[in-house]
Amino acid sequence: MNAILVALLEIRAYLRDKGGLAFSLLLPIAIFALMYGAFGGQEQFHGTAYVVDEDQGGIYSARLIEQMDELDELDVELLSRSDADDRLEHSDLYLVLYIPQGFSDKLTTDEKLPLTFKQRSNGGQEGQIVASMVRGLAEEINQGLQVQNQVEDALAESGIGGEKVEITVQKFLDREREHPIVGIEEISVGSSPDPVNQFLPGIVTMFVLFSITLTARTLVEERKKGTLERLFTTRLSVGQLFAGKFLANVSRGFVQTLILFALAYAVFQKFTPLSFGSSLVIALVFAAAASALGLVIAAVVRTEDQATWIGVFFTMAMTMLGGTFFEISEGTMMETISRFSVNTYANEAFYTVIARGGTLADVGFEIAVVAGVAVVALIIARSLFKVAQEGK
Amino acid sequence: MPEEFLVARNLHKSFNGNNAVNGVSFSIHKGEVFGLLGPNGAGKTTTIRMLTTVLEPDRGDIEIGGHSVRQDAEGVRALIGVCPQELALYVELSAMDNLVFFGRMVGLNGKEAKAQAMSHLDLMGLADRAKGKVDKFSGGMKRRVNLAIALMGHPQFLFLDESTVGVDPQSRNNIYETIEGLRDEGMTILYTTHYMDEADRLCDRVAIMDEGVIIAMDTPHALKSQIGNPNQVTLEDVFLKLTGRTLRD
Repeated sequence: MNAILVALLEIRAYLRDKGGLAFSLLLPIAIFALMYGAFGGQEQFHGTAYVVDEDQGGIYSARLIEQMDELDELDVELLSRSDADDRLEHSDLYLVLYIPQGFSDKLTTDEKLPLTFKQRSNGGQEGQIVASMVRGLAEEINQGLQVQNQVEDALAESGIGGEKVEITVQKFLDREREHPIVGIEEISVGSSPDPVNQFLPGIVTMFVLFSITLTARTLVEERKKGTLERLFTTRLSVGQLFAGKFLANVSRGFVQTLILFALAYAVFQKFTPLSFGSSLVIALVFAAAASALGLVIAAVVRTEDQATWIGVFFTMAMTMLGGTFFEISEGTMMETISRFSVNTYANEAFYTVIARGGTLADVGFEIAVVAGVAVVALIIARSLFKVAQEGK
Repeated sequence: MPEEFLVARNLHKSFNGNNAVNGVSFSIHKGEVFGLLGPNGAGKTTTIRMLTTVLEPDRGDIEIGGHSVRQDAEGVRALIGVCPQELALYVELSAMDNLVFFGRMVGLNGKEAKAQAMSHLDLMGLADRAKGKVDKFSGGMKRRVNLAIALMGHPQFLFLDESTVGVDPQSRNNIYETIEGLRDEGMTILYTTHYMDEADRLCDRVAIMDEGVIIAMDTPHALKSQIGNPNQVTLEDVFLKLTGRTLRD
């Protein structure tokens, strides 16, 4: 009973802080809006090709840039060499295409002068895609020229002019482009990948983990107010205090998650009633784990700042290891390390239920791991806690 | 022979090798107001923290109402009320909420807690501010709420650790009258203060602590008699004579 009274007191204090309450309830909505703005609808690749064209007036460099510009997926931004070098140096750009001076002339005389990609590291994901597109276009120009040269060589004795050969070759090449011998057919299966399905689990787990910091501060705040020692002159036991704090923070984390899921349900129709219920069960267990982990921090820190920074570090580390910010490739060292993050299991459980239509039975192992973390963390927190800190 | 309600035997407590309390023994009779005096750093608060079950003594034992602090802390807590030196309140909540919560923590049911809370707030002259947020209260009002909380559950033994620090004369007088009323009702009280006139007015006996030990213990009258005419010397004269005039940290 005392534990419930402690929990109710904490919740009452939380509800009385109107500013904090508004912020904590609006935060899930704001994060959701950001998430949708960031990921919603951006299904097609779109990138920018940064080009330094030193082949001014060259016919083939102009043709290459024109063809790049014609691609829907690509914007072209022309830069001077110094500007491009400077921006690469400062990591403002990851990949730049340099078209060397005399590029077109050399091609005309059948000499080789390569295009250059200058890049930071591997050029980044966007840079690699842009480079791949440019390579394709360069290859087309290359093939065209080769065909033209060979035809010109073959007809050298016939007296047919080079200009006529070029026009004829181009006509054939254009026709080949329109009706290629080896065609590629694209077949779409189902709807496009759903960004909400993709990112909702990660955002939810990150959000629940925020409560670690709030929980971590709770005992320090009680200690600072003097109420902690006072409480331990009453009949309240340490176990009851921990249980109360635990319940209050689980409730807070759960309610915030509930808001997020309810939004996803109402706005995006992401859930069936069953998957909605299953997701709430996972959210409850994960909120319990986050709250218990927060109590471990709370049990050892001495100041609010310590609680905040350790909580933030823990949250960020868990979030990254859980694959919220970037995908973790299977079979890598990172994947092995990520198995030590409770986020990984919660993410997997949410993803299975939300995106793959799984049931609670399908995520039994993940839920068991998260629940186990909650229990072990509570035991550790209780054993680390000291009522009175020395010094006075 | 008066009944001993609190008995402290040979208490020791050190922090990082520094002796905060070094062999303190005393007893408090039932219904007595006992003053624990001493300069800053004398060991008063550490002694109180041990008496109230917050700190465990390195050595020695304490019995309150027949319950050992070491072996039956729960039993001790059922008898005591504590008004700590620092304000220990949930300032974001109302005075009423604070009292009711601590009332529940000492075992009252909801109805009893509300009734007692209202009665104690009335006693402290705060009935009309019962629902006011403590954060908005003056220092004196907060001190009175702090004391009112200690009275929840009608404890048999009350610890008052510098309850009148930083309050205006009106609030201080209210606190004096409350303590005198509680004494008249037979409550046993341990009182610490830096105001010697308070101790002289309220306490049946006082112990003066310095550097972790009790250096004198008797009635205020008897202590004053030791250095002169008790009608002419003050308890402060006794205190300064025993503890010296050197400034303390």
